Amino acid sequence: MKLIGHQMILASAGSGKTYALTNRFVQLLAWGAPPERIVALTFTRKAAGEFFDEILNKLARAARDPREAARIAGEIGVPALGPADFLRMLRTMTSAMHRLSLGTLDGFFARVVRAFPLELGLGGDFEILQEHGARLERQRVLRQLFARTGGELDEAQREFVEAFKRATFGAEEKRLAARLDRFIDLHQDLYLNAPDGEAWGNPLRIWPERSVWLEAAGDAKGAAAVLRHWAEGAGLGEKQLGRWHAFLAALETWAPGAPLPRELIYVLEKSVVAWAELIAGEAVLEFDRKKQTLTADACAALVALTRTVFGGELVRRLEVTRGIYTVLRGYEAVYHDLVRRAGKLTFADVQRLLMPDAGHGFSGQRAPRLASAEMDTLAGIRGAEEREAGRLLVDWRLDAKFDHWLLDEFQDTSHGQWSVLRNLIDEAVQDPEGRRSLFYVGDVKQAIYAWRGGDPRLFREIFDHYNAVEPGTIKEGHLDQSWRSGPAIISAVNRVFGNAAALARLMPGPAAERWTSEWRDHVSARPQLNGQVAWLYGDDDGARAGLTLKLLREINPLERGLSVAVLVQSNDAATWLADYLRREGGMPAVAASDLQVCTDNPLTTAVLALLQAAAHPGDRLAREHMGMTPLADIVEAAGVGPVEALTQDVLRRVHAEGFARTIETWLRRLEPSLMADDVFSRERARQLTEAALLFDETGSRDVAEFVQFAGRHVVRDAETATVVRVMTIHKSKGLGFDVVVLPDLEGNSLATRRRDGLCVQRNPERVVEWVLDLPPKLFHEHDAVLTAHVEAAEAEAAYEKLCLFYVAMTRAKRALYLITKPVGPKSVSANFPRLLAETLPSAGFDGGVRVGGWSADGAFVEGDSEWFGQIGVVGEADRDATGPAGIETLPAVSVVARHLARTPSGTKAGVVTGVSLFGSSGTSAASFGTAVHAALAAVEWGGASPEVLAAWKAAGVSEGAIAEARACLEAEELAEVWAKPVGGGEVWRERAFEIVLDGAWITGVFDRVVLAWDDSGRVVVATIYDFKTDRIGPENAGQLSTRYAGQLEIYRKAAARLTGLPEGRVRCVLVSTAQRSVSAVQAPRAD
Amino acid sequence: MHREILVKLFRLRMPSPRFHVLPWNQPLVHAVTEWLASDWTAQGPLDLSDTLLIAPTRQAGRRLREALAGHAAARRQAVFPPRVIMPEALASLDAPATGIATRTESLLAWTEVLRGIDLEAFRDVFPVDPPARTFSWAMRLAREFQRLQTSLAENGLRMADVAARGGDDFPELERWAQLGALEGLCDAALAARGLRDPQAAKIAFAENPAPLAGVRRIILAGTPDPLPIAVNVLMVHAARGLLVDVIVSGPSGVDGAVLFDGWGRPLPTAWAARTFEMADFERRVRLCADPAAQAEAIVSCAFGYRVPGGRLGVGVADAEVLPSLENGLARAGVPAFNPEGRPLKAAALHTLLSALAELVREPSFVAVTTLLRCPDVLRWLGGSPTRLLASLDELHAEHLPASLSDARTQARSRPAWSGLASALDSVVRLREELLRGAFPSNVRAALTEIFKERRFDLGRPEDARAVEAGQAWGEVLTELEAAVGRFPGVVLTDVWELALRALGDSQRFDEKPEGAVELQGWLELLWDDAPHLIVAGLNDGRVPDAVVGDAFLPEALRARLGLKTNEGRFARDAYLLQALAAFRADGRGRLDLLVGKTSAAGDPLRPSRLLFLCADAELPARVAFLFKPAEAARPNHAWQRAWKLTPRTDAKIERLSVTVFRDYLKCPFRFYLKHGLRMQAVDPHKAELDAMDFGNLCHSALEAMGRADSPVRDCTDAGVLRRFLLGELERTASERYGESPVLPLVVQLESARQRLSKVAEVQAQLRADGWVIERTEWTFELTVGGLPVRGKIDRIDRNELTGEVRVLDYKTSDKPVNPADAHMRGPKRNEDMEALPACARFVAGDGEMIWIDLQLPLYLAAVADEFGHAVTCGYFNLPKAAGETGVSLWDGYDTDVQCAAMRCAEGVTTAVQARRFWPPAELPADYDDFAALFHEGVESSVDWKGEAGA
Ligand code: SF4
Repeated sequence: MKLIGHQMILASAGSGKTYALTNRFVQLLAWGAPPERIVALTFTRKAAGEFFDEILNKLARAARDPREAARIAGEIGVPALGPADFLRMLRTMTSAMHRLSLGTLDGFFARVVRAFPLELGLGGDFEILQEHGARLERQRVLRQLFARTGGELDEAQREFVEAFKRATFGAEEKRLAARLDRFIDLHQDLYLNAPDGEAWGNPLRIWPERSVWLEAAGDAKGAAAVLRHWAEGAGLGEKQLGRWHAFLAALETWAPGAPLPRELIYVLEKSVVAWAELIAGEAVLEFDRKKQTLTADACAALVALTRTVFGGELVRRLEVTRGIYTVLRGYEAVYHDLVRRAGKLTFADVQRLLMPDAGHGFSGQRAPRLASAEMDTLAGIRGAEEREAGRLLVDWRLDAKFDHWLLDEFQDTSHGQWSVLRNLIDEAVQDPEGRRSLFYVGDVKQAIYAWRGGDPRLFREIFDHYNAVEPGTIKEGHLDQSWRSGPAIISAVNRVFGNAAALARLMPGPAAERWTSEWRDHVSARPQLNGQVAWLYGDDDGARAGLTLKLLREINPLERGLSVAVLVQSNDAATWLADYLRREGGMPAVAASDLQVCTDNPLTTAVLALLQAAAHPGDRLAREHMGMTPLADIVEAAGVGPVEALTQDVLRRVHAEGFARTIETWLRRLEPSLMADDVFSRERARQLTEAALLFDETGSRDVAEFVQFAGRHVVRDAETATVVRVMTIHKSKGLGFDVVVLPDLEGNSLATRRRDGLCVQRNPERVVEWVLDLPPKLFHEHDAVLTAHVEAAEAEAAYEKLCLFYVAMTRAKRALYLITKPVGPKSVSANFPRLLAETLPSAGFDGGVRVGGWSADGAFVEGDSEWFGQIGVVGEADRDATGPAGIETLPAVSVVARHLARTPSGTKAGVVTGVSLFGSSGTSAASFGTAVHAALAAVEWGGASPEVLAAWKAAGVSEGAIAEARACLEAEELAEVWAKPVGGGEVWRERAFEIVLDGAWITGVFDRVVLAWDDSGRVVVATIYDFKTDRIGPENAGQLSTRYAGQLEIYRKAAARLTGLPEGRVRCVLVSTAQRSVSAVQAPRAD
Repeated sequence: MHREILVKLFRLRMPSPRFHVLPWNQPLVHAVTEWLASDWTAQGPLDLSDTLLIAPTRQAGRRLREALAGHAAARRQAVFPPRVIMPEALASLDAPATGIATRTESLLAWTEVLRGIDLEAFRDVFPVDPPARTFSWAMRLAREFQRLQTSLAENGLRMADVAARGGDDFPELERWAQLGALEGLCDAALAARGLRDPQAAKIAFAENPAPLAGVRRIILAGTPDPLPIAVNVLMVHAARGLLVDVIVSGPSGVDGAVLFDGWGRPLPTAWAARTFEMADFERRVRLCADPAAQAEAIVSCAFGYRVPGGRLGVGVADAEVLPSLENGLARAGVPAFNPEGRPLKAAALHTLLSALAELVREPSFVAVTTLLRCPDVLRWLGGSPTRLLASLDELHAEHLPASLSDARTQARSRPAWSGLASALDSVVRLREELLRGAFPSNVRAALTEIFKERRFDLGRPEDARAVEAGQAWGEVLTELEAAVGRFPGVVLTDVWELALRALGDSQRFDEKPEGAVELQGWLELLWDDAPHLIVAGLNDGRVPDAVVGDAFLPEALRARLGLKTNEGRFARDAYLLQALAAFRADGRGRLDLLVGKTSAAGDPLRPSRLLFLCADAELPARVAFLFKPAEAARPNHAWQRAWKLTPRTDAKIERLSVTVFRDYLKCPFRFYLKHGLRMQAVDPHKAELDAMDFGNLCHSALEAMGRADSPVRDCTDAGVLRRFLLGELERTASERYGESPVLPLVVQLESARQRLSKVAEVQAQLRADGWVIERTEWTFELTVGGLPVRGKIDRIDRNELTGEVRVLDYKTSDKPVNPADAHMRGPKRNEDMEALPACARFVAGDGEMIWIDLQLPLYLAAVADEFGHAVTCGYFNLPKAAGETGVSLWDGYDTDVQCAAMRCAEGVTTAVQARRFWPPAELPADYDDFAALFHEGVESSVDWKGEAGA
């Protein structure tokens, strides 16, 4: 096999990453790599599926078509390949399908963990918690955390409450449960990545050089007095004196953590600017353009007060940070105990288990490392020999040996993920014989998942890392040709994103540099695809929505069979806009966020209300809600109108059959209330049942829990060309549309960082160095450490924001419409519309944008305003392609006779009392009966003999059963049962039979049948003895024969058939083993 | 070692079993039936009672017996059937049961070992210390080791044998040696109790099985992968002279020995090479988007048959399809039957027992509510279940009890809750019962108590199923009783855990309804004779199932140990698929195969490898066909309204509280829902005080402070006031929420304390300034526009120095509230003023204003008689930020405002009396208590039959 080499591919939007990846895969196959040795990983399950499909389809095409074969052979650089070769590869692939490692990173990690549970400190196998499961678990954990068993708070609880108070200082502290839920959402990941308390709110970590603000401030009261005294005696103007008074007054009421009043900010800003002079004891401050010279005392006082405020605020923030840490630790401790230890892991947990040195913070202590030799090898911290042994073990347990690595969407890979893969991939890259390889592809310009760990810098770092050791180890490749977008779009994209000067003006320096250094102009691979790009003006949300509607009406994309998307920045905006397009324009617009199928319509909400009303009879909202729907009449008709009946009926059903069945029943009853053509509601009905099936799997029968689950249950809408899809830019990643409208481009400046949560400083290895709840601007602007952090974070944020807009613009295939507020010449906000203004417009544009026959105000247009004119309107019939036809039934084939199955005793009747079922006698009665039957079956003829007794004992029959069986053998009344017929005969014992009687198939067992022979040895009479071990009194013996008459009739018929005797010659006798009595059961008289 | 020699001896001496290949162009079950009856003359019954027949599944045996009965019935005869067993039963057939550990006993032995060992001695098994060696941990691992033992026993191996069989380059030699040692410890733990490990016993017995009484011959029929251990047993019996017949179905005209080994196992090499021909492949194989789509395809077809039994067979190779399928069939009214049974985990009894176990573990309030919602418990408690459950929710909402005992104390505080109180007493007694005495007699006693009045009518399927569950539970208890007797160290909660797991694992078999379509597993299908068969889930990893990667038995090791391998499974399934197709070919029937594109969770699925068993020339076409994108399962339907809500319009509203004017002004329709229909939700997940609870809590302390008999009414010492307020708070809180409230309450109480502390300071100052609390919680009734209006004023202050009077309302919201802003607002930009109720609008000074609340003006109206018109009003804010605590007066309040407010109030009362509650206001869902009722707008959601024009 050839030296295949390692490759990094920097791709652009629409440039065929999947194509490149599949080509690489085929190339590896062509060079003889067994497919099971190729690991190909991506992020979403969908992408993984498409990737696999594409490989097989590519091979299949090449195997069938010589031209296709030649083309692919050329592309992968093995020109000699012909269809036969591709066919061979295809066969290799189909046969090895089950052994392939081609899927998601999550799936791959789970597979590794599954093979090494004990090595990773797990208690055995585990299950993956899906989202709804995880929610239920969190609730359980919170309940446990909140629970009190009485008396004083315990140590942990006290600590937790104290920490919570600290963590929420200056914020809402009235609601703990709700707040905690948010904490966990926001910070749990961070906690797990930095479980070490040292990193949280630790001033030594944040300011190794010690912050000036944290130095002792001295006596604030005294300082205030000094300052006041100075100010009043310094002959200041009224305004200036007022400033000082206001400052000192505000200082008295202000406490750290509270918002800073203007009066404080004003003076403090002056103070920090003149800090050096103040320290020196001689400073001139300017208030409202009047200078004032402070005495040394006043300087010292102001220094002390500034330090009080700054130091106080910073200390408070440190406390808040540590409080958050302690709260999370408290939660995590319970979570770990209750959830992970019980073998329930999220994908994030799985990944964390494999991370070599994250010290995954499970339970707050330094967690068990991957400490076995083999896993240390994964972690790359052992010698070469053990490394090899460990590697072999991984191969062994996973039934695989990984030689080649293909990583997709690499810009979204997190450092944590890479740290797991690194140790496996290292070997491939450093393989001295070059038999193994690494290939990674992605687009650093589409790195919009930083918030969930995506780390686009890895791209270059890895490249540099390996190439530093051995230049040229990894080769760099580029994909700049867009197979998605036409020339108009590509031209606009190049203008906006390739303008280094404009970017440098509008973005923080590092962000602009990073972007520009990787930028390459795009080329459209579909130059013949005509289309249009335009930038229109709309003053506010309403106007922009209106323009969107008008555009869509003009282009009429759905009728032309064109796909269309309206991309916005938030889910709320998507919902609102979809609603607007439907309401105002009658457009079939769908907010392609996740659909809340259980609550977005009257039908399913009514069913949920019914459940809620039944389980919580005090819920008048649910009850009345139900009463406003057809359910009002239906519950009456079903006989469960009164609340009492409804509660019983619903709870009984839910407990006996689960939610899906219960709901199904009600949906069926509601069916006649639906309009005949209401396919939508019927679809929702089905989806509610599907949700219930999912919930039933959890085993929970809690109605409230289900109602809550249903409220959260979402379904991704099916992708279809027949609706206008309104979605967030984030969700649109990876998709392409003929027409894209971007009406929501306003907003933050390109340089604003996300200002929620905590600030997290990481070292180059991405290890968390410190965490701090960031103080307000005044404070962080005047602290070198914090300023540096904030600047870096802002640069990151700016880069990601630009990525987002890049993704937005590159979704378009033919036409792209940007709609923003007009950007005035004096506008200074460095936001995206500003970037458009600096890059798009050309001189001489008159401000009129024409789209088809419609025109509007705007700033830019390029391409063909009539581009859609030539695309024909599709007829109704073509669009409404029906789904796959059902499987037709098979006509006129002989039916296999099927009988209704019965057992003679299975003609179920009778009543079991709760006491007999659950009381101590219940089950032993059954086993006692079985034992007596078994004992009696051992008897052929005659009474109790020593041999029989010995045999019973040997077979382990219980004492009680032996006693009863023995009594039966010895009882005079039962002598006939055991007696051999005078004329000779035979006996059937515990004899099974199968028979078809009156169309029913009956399976039965005779306890004992005695066949009497005549002289010639022919059977003349048969007597069926049926043993009953029921504990009944003698007075009730008669009941036995009534109760079992039906059963014995069947025995009689069966015996008659089996012996060939007329039914009249078959006697049926019930034998009560308890009463030691026999009673014959007469055949019913035939009429 | 001994065993292997034995086996070798048999191979040398034993006559190989007689091997029969029946033609596969007729259904296997018929072929076998005919073969069994081939020398039967139909003179007497078909007597096969001297035959032991091995069939692969319960269902296969059942089919065979039915076919035999049918065969005999056609000749007016009946059958003495063969004894039919499954291969796994063969190794322990007629084995003595004494002295062998039950599953539970073996599990307990393992847990004892796992918790007791010195891990240092087992570092190759436990390279790192497990999280905590709790019983749960040990039990989970023990179950895994049990599974491992069972897998190994398939080929007569124990853990200790693995090291020797692992081969020269076996990388896990030491680990398996240690596992063997662990197993040895486990055996010893059992031996100390006079027990043997069940797998060990089985293996030993299989080497020397008991002679089979009354059996003359053994037939292994249609069982393509008998366990190796079963084959060994057959060899022993054959060597002892029993006749052994092996029957398979296969293509006629091909030498069976080319395709199968002597035991009927498909030979991997042969079946991997044999192509699977299927006429009409592309019509008979169908790609479905997801499990629901597969289910739908089957349902529609089954529905087409009306009575599918005997015509249509359904195979479900992917268990994910089953729930949707069963559900879909139920919806279509097609009876269905799942021969695999249902796990008792889903039974009502299991839910009840879990609730009891939880109660035993911890008498928390949550455990109580779960228990009380079990229908059997409700029935046991008697009385009205709805009253009980409603009281339970009320109690929860008002007192947030943490535990059973808290709840009980609170329940006694209100006569209306007496039913609940006695129910809780019963639960307390039940728990005592469960903790007293020995397991399981205490459980039996408790259940007998719960079910003492209950009678199960076996004629009703639901009751019959409950009885089965009860019996299964009885068995679990019996087994546990013995086990716990032998392993007495196990604590009660762990025993419960064991018992519930055991019950959850057991299966319940339903009776097959008439004409039902059977939903069978893949391995059952060979024995199905329905002419039309649909198999769902023909996906890789399902058919054949494949093991890739395992913590203990990876594929390479399985192969070395002679356990089932992927290769063997592939051959078996290739054979099965071709057999299923064969007898349905040529117009005799039809086989439809459904291939899923994604799993329920959205994971991509691949078609089964079996479908690529075609000639090379065909492969590209098959790939192209099977990897084409699946058609979207369902088209996206446009949103459509099923119906409009029709609220009753007759709810009476005879008086108003001053606080509800706000609601009317916000939206008359919601006002009607809230105060007419009294629609109020229950929040079963309430975990802490809501804003109103919090306010009430603070109010009660403040009220006590201002009462006429209050010792601190005139107090000017903040410290004393503070102690008083906090004392009152403490008292009320413990009265309402018990001595040990849940954690969120601890935090909330702390917040209340802080706010009241600050109030003490402010109040001290107010009193010093001359303000005397004249009235507190003063209730009044006014008539406004002919309707009685009631209210309660938090406090009325009079300044003893100036004589000034003011009306104050306490506000505990987080931010301080300005009274004017809370009562009126200016119009919004572009607001359609005409849409507002006319009475809400008024002109103030330079512009139009809109009333949003009338509380303070109504207070002033109420006090006017006594205090005149010069009264001022405002809020006493107790916000989060202590610095902002204090009185906030309504600036600029004058008679014009008062008059406008009263006009508005009259407008509201008039409208209410005229029952004008329509049209509604459209509000954002986040701020709408009734959001669940409305979709795409309130007005379009409701068909209002009452007056319109508010
Ligand atoms: S002011 Fe002093 S005397 Fe008056 S009530 Fe308060 S504490 Fe008692």
